[in-house]
Amino acid sequence: MSRADETVWEVFARQAYEEPLHHVGTLTESDEDLALVCARAIYDEQPWVHMILVPRAEIREAIRA
Amino acid sequence: MSTSTTVDAATATMISLIGSLADNKGALGRRYGEWAVSAPTIESAVAAAAMAQDELGHARSTYPVLAKLGVQRSDDGLDAGHPLPVIAAELPDWASVIAANLVVDGILTTWVASVRDSSIEPLAQRARKILQEEGAHRVHAEAWLRRLCASGGGDRDLLLARIEQMWRPAARWPGPDDHPGYRAATSQGMVCEGPDTIRARVRDWLAARLDVAGCAVQLPEPDDWSDWDERYRR
Repeated sequence: MSRADETVWEVFARQAYEEPLHHVGTLTESDEDLALVCARAIYDEQPWVHMILVPRAEIREAIRA
Repeated sequence: MSTSTTVDAATATMISLIGSLADNKGALGRRYGEWAVSAPTIESAVAAAAMAQDELGHARSTYPVLAKLGVQRSDDGLDAGHPLPVIAAELPDWASVIAANLVVDGILTTWVASVRDSSIEPLAQRARKILQEEGAHRVHAEAWLRRLCASGGGDRDLLLARIEQMWRPAARWPGPDDHPGYRAATSQGMVCEGPDTIRARVRDWLAARLDVAGCAVQLPEPDDWSDWDERYRR
């Protein structure tokens, strides 16, 4: 199965709402719903209260040294 | 499995349904787990492992409900029991895993939804927990249905064939609609929906998802119950 055209997602999560979101990893998945399921399964090492996924292609760089 | 006292028809039917639910969830957990190292993508392999863990947990937590109904069951582990034959052995391809996720998990979860307010309180408690976790299983199944149908060709045809293959035994699992024990269980508030309603809910959901994906399968209503065995629900 070719994965060249799939979406790369950056995964962010936090353990308490007063904490900032931390980058916890990435995953590759073209289906948005499946990406959400897979993110919860892959990054389950901590008791997160909040997790978000951002398509890497949507990230805009403000600084690149 | 044996009961300590004689039970009424409604309780006997619920014992059969709950025991078989646990047997089939244990088998689903093993089948998902076997694909946790060979799913088409690493992301779905991890998702399969998570679903396996969920299903084995559901089986483990459901068996003790039988004790509340007076059933002594020896703890033979999760390899025991009498699951549906279509999930009793390792699944041959990923399309079968998704078909089991859609059809077998679909029928079982729809039945679990019908006992979330059961008068058997330990069952209702477990049902509410199971339904929370099954939401992700449904999303997984629907997403893979879309993907395999969109891929066309052999992958799509195999999935459709596997869905039809799994539907026939899974649709028989709730039993005949006029079953006296089931009707008594419904009238006593142990379960709120009858077998025909359970089948119709899954059929309508599955047909709608397939229709959106540009596909269709035959999901017939079971009509011959002459050889149906209530002990194993098949």
